Amino acid sequence: MVSTLFIIAGGLGAAFLLGLLREEWRGFAYGVTLAALAFMSWVAGSWLWAFVFDGAVGVDVFTAGHNPPFAINLRMGLPEAVLVLLVNAMGLMVGVYLKGTLMRLGRRAMAVLLVAVLALCGIILTRDIFNLFVFIELTAISTAGLVLLSADARALGAGFKYLVISQIISILLLVGIIFAYHATGTLNIDGMAEASVALMKGGTLAFFLILMALIVELKPFPANGWALDIYESAHPAFSALFSAAFSAAMLFAVDKVLLIGGEPWPKIATGVGIVTFVGSNLLALSQTNDRRLLGYSSVAQVGLVLTVIGQRAVLGEHYLFVVGGILLAHSVAKAGLFWVSGLVVERQLSAWAVLRQNPFLVFAFATFMALLIGLPPFPGFYAKWELVHALVSEGRLALVVFILFGALLEVGYLFRWFGYIIKREASVESAMSKPVAFLPRKLVVIGVGVVSAWGLGYIWGALSDFANVLQALPVLFALSFLALEGLPAKLKNTLAIVGLVAFFAISYENYNQLQLIFGAIILIGGAVILLASYETHGKRIGFYPSAMLMYAGLAMLIVAEDSFSFFVAWEILTVGSYFLILRGKFSEPHALSYIIFSLGGAFAILAGFALAAGGAPRIPLEALAQVPATLAPWVFILLAIGFMTKTAAIGLHIWLPGAHAEAETDVSPMVSGILLKAGLFGLMVLLLNMGKTQFYGVELTYVLLWIGALSALLGNLMAIFQEDAKRLLAYSSIGQMGYAVFGLAMMNHLGWLMALMFVINHYVYKSMLFLSVGGIAKRTGTRDMYRMGGLIALMPLSFIAVLIGIIAVSGVPPLSGFGGRWIFYNAIMTADARLPMILIFLSGPVAFLYLFRLIHTIFLGQLKDEHRRLKEAPFWIVVPQMIYVVFLLGFAVFPGLALRRVDAFLNPYFPNGGLNWEGLTISSDFGYWSPVSIMITIGVIFATLLAWLVYLNHNAQKVKQFNIVFAAERPYRPETTHFAWNFFAPYRKALGFMVQPFVTQFWDGLTGSLHHTAQFTRKLYTGNGQTYAFHLLAFVVVVYLILVGGLV
Amino acid sequence: MVYVALITGFLLILMGLYGALTNRNILRMTVAFSIASTGTHLVLVAVGYIPGRTAPILDGAVTAADASLRIIDPVPQALVLTAIVIGLGVTALMLTYAYKLYETKRTLDISKYTDLKW
Repeated sequence: MVSTLFIIAGGLGAAFLLGLLREEWRGFAYGVTLAALAFMSWVAGSWLWAFVFDGAVGVDVFTAGHNPPFAINLRMGLPEAVLVLLVNAMGLMVGVYLKGTLMRLGRRAMAVLLVAVLALCGIILTRDIFNLFVFIELTAISTAGLVLLSADARALGAGFKYLVISQIISILLLVGIIFAYHATGTLNIDGMAEASVALMKGGTLAFFLILMALIVELKPFPANGWALDIYESAHPAFSALFSAAFSAAMLFAVDKVLLIGGEPWPKIATGVGIVTFVGSNLLALSQTNDRRLLGYSSVAQVGLVLTVIGQRAVLGEHYLFVVGGILLAHSVAKAGLFWVSGLVVERQLSAWAVLRQNPFLVFAFATFMALLIGLPPFPGFYAKWELVHALVSEGRLALVVFILFGALLEVGYLFRWFGYIIKREASVESAMSKPVAFLPRKLVVIGVGVVSAWGLGYIWGALSDFANVLQALPVLFALSFLALEGLPAKLKNTLAIVGLVAFFAISYENYNQLQLIFGAIILIGGAVILLASYETHGKRIGFYPSAMLMYAGLAMLIVAEDSFSFFVAWEILTVGSYFLILRGKFSEPHALSYIIFSLGGAFAILAGFALAAGGAPRIPLEALAQVPATLAPWVFILLAIGFMTKTAAIGLHIWLPGAHAEAETDVSPMVSGILLKAGLFGLMVLLLNMGKTQFYGVELTYVLLWIGALSALLGNLMAIFQEDAKRLLAYSSIGQMGYAVFGLAMMNHLGWLMALMFVINHYVYKSMLFLSVGGIAKRTGTRDMYRMGGLIALMPLSFIAVLIGIIAVSGVPPLSGFGGRWIFYNAIMTADARLPMILIFLSGPVAFLYLFRLIHTIFLGQLKDEHRRLKEAPFWIVVPQMIYVVFLLGFAVFPGLALRRVDAFLNPYFPNGGLNWEGLTISSDFGYWSPVSIMITIGVIFATLLAWLVYLNHNAQKVKQFNIVFAAERPYRPETTHFAWNFFAPYRKALGFMVQPFVTQFWDGLTGSLHHTAQFTRKLYTGNGQTYAFHLLAFVVVVYLILVGGLV
Repeated sequence: MVYVALITGFLLILMGLYGALTNRNILRMTVAFSIASTGTHLVLVAVGYIPGRTAPILDGAVTAADASLRIIDPVPQALVLTAIVIGLGVTALMLTYAYKLYETKRTLDISKYTDLKW
């Protein structure tokens, strides 16, 4: 093995060598710099290799021919090797990235870079506290030098502020060190740790000063204004190093030094860390400058790692896995984002829209964002799971709440930013400089970051006790579409359809009846909807990886057997569907609220599972039944809230209308017809296993019943007042899901049967209606119904689809909707909740009102002049609709095909009250249902009426559009004169109070007040170096007062 | 004697910090930090001092054999040398910065350098 000392010596030697070179030999000097960094990385890498593959054990390197405490020793172990490799590799990448700047500034700048890197390695390796001080000072001096690499003149001010802070830090550190030495008689960190019992009162204060000095280097909130200024003004490559490598090294220093202390110190770390994590993420909300935002986010992430470091005892053997996962994820992601920021000319967030010119950069951003947030399959995801489980099992619930809240804030601003990239227009100046010159060298550096991110995800998956997400077949299939992005969309579409069907073919034998229904809807149903995607042209970049990711998550969800795999699937389908929803033209705000609600729900699910697990790393889903009675209601509530964010139960529904309505034509049916079922599936798993649960005497399924009924009523009410056809359908989904939740919450056989029937029916008719309306909107160029009319003759197939669809939705005979209703009425006859039942009854006729409009306003009435030459909706959009029509007719006659199996499946869970299936007639305790005879009866009535109308047709008088007498006045808003505009105005007058956007106002108020707090609090950072110095001193004093006050 | 040095050291640190926080002039701030650094150095040496002993230099007067009984603790002295060197480096850097800052805005008032904030 090459001695660890060569890492320090290599950097130092090369830096001295640079000093001897002639000023003009810049290329050679640059070569020496890169060679030195590569050599140092190689040494670190070879140690890591030895630790991982050759089973090497950690070694101490002694200097000056003596053992510690008489000489300094460096230690190389597994964590040190990882971090030193991180620092050196980061240094090398930054060196490559900075080529232009370094060549311009010459060998001195290169030497400073080398010194910075070796000093960071020193901080990580050394076991001597004074040596640590020396390396920290070296870091400070080199930092102050590297800040000046920036072309931004304001960096000077930031550098000076940093020097002021580092002076104070060095005073704290020196005084602390000398008194700690006095108390323990050694400068060796391990020696001090052994002597920690001997630390008397003075020694405690000394240790406090040392710890504070190190923590202040980690930029704790609110004593971190100086760091934010550096992030904002420094060269992005340096910011990458500052965020990734400096923080990693300083965190390791804190970890080392905490060995010395005793009881209260880890709590201080956790306290400072969590305040920083939440505070900085909050302030980041109101940032508009990209680099400053990244600065806030860096500070926050480091705070999270500090929090975890303080919880070392709780995490036990998982400590390195968790802390390493979060730290490495942060380092790679933040470095990557800073590198990307170097490609963007302007500094406001929306200027990042230029990244769209290169899909690879969008992918890179998405990777780094997911890595930072800790979405699967990245390390932070596994770490978050372990962390939350460990904390919950120790009862540190408040800490979990703060961590998840902070993480949700982070989700908010990062996904908002991603939305800007995908949706905003790049400003005029950047548009003028098109095409943006993305230097290949910089792209390579970013590429290395992306590869490391996925590599880390794979490694963490392999290290975890769970199945590696990156080895799951569906995920791999979805990701493989990334490699196929260059192919035409039609080819990719075929591959996707084949993949879905093939996956169903290989897995359906292992499904139980419930899984079979969901599996068929997701995989076969998904394939049918994808037929409509043949309509698109070009490459459709980004669509297939996202869609397949969503399907992968759904396919994994229904077969998940334990809490971990369920949660993985849940997050994967959430992320995939977010990317899918964001594709719509005006989807930006709706996709954002979707992801915030969904990930908020996911965090609730995570907390629920952790609570149920009671210390185990994961539990089989069946074990939800054995949760102790004291915890059961809490688990129930958390999981139910999580699942209801997906079913868009009233109160959590505000994301749905926009997300579904603004999505692309073929995406709306996917996210409505299929995705919503994930929430229902979750509720089914929850209710099957936990059953009825009491919360302070309140029956929780009864609460669900009410939520279902209210969602049904209010969802339908809101639907009737829509002018936009897709929004109408979207609101109707809220109502439909309300029915399904109601059915499940009844907790009896028929209720469940009805809910499952809803699962099938809702998929079919909602997909069909979204496709028809989407096809019509494509042709007419509008989604407002009053702008359409009379399309029946031009688009007969769409008309048939809509007609069949609304018959099915409204539950009138003869189609399957009626079957649903029939089961439903039987079910409520057996249930005893009367009041919510009335609400559900009420919402039935309300549904008629809006469904009627689809036929009436779109297809009947007079054709608009500009629509005279319209053709039928595009072929591929009509094909799946016709498949649905056939299916609906078939399902109406033979509902037993599917329902009989489900009925049998439900028997073990709800033995009483099943249906009797004899021949083609189905009977219950209250009556019978004979689909075939109903179909015949209705058919006869329909045929008779039709014949009668045709017979009367010769009496009809044609009314031409210009028969209308105009008043001599031109209306200010022409649509107000249209009879179909504000169609249900009288109802609005009567019932409008019920559809006031109270819920929207509530959530708006919440986010608004968060933003105001952020806006107000960030004024704390006045920009004055003296104020920052004062913040720092005040911070130290306050922490000290908290400490002596015994609050920790 | 030890206490006099210690107290003086701490006084210098406090004076330095006070000066750095109350003077807006960048040069004065730099000087103030130098004072605080000097205070720190004094504290360092004072902690290593043992009354009645001599400097930790082995020569005719102090031999290696009786060194441990006759000399004061040499470690803080070694530390303070390093600290002084580092302090000098940082001070030099601050002065360079002061010069560069003055070149940009023609003022040494730190409260004028608040372009970066919030």
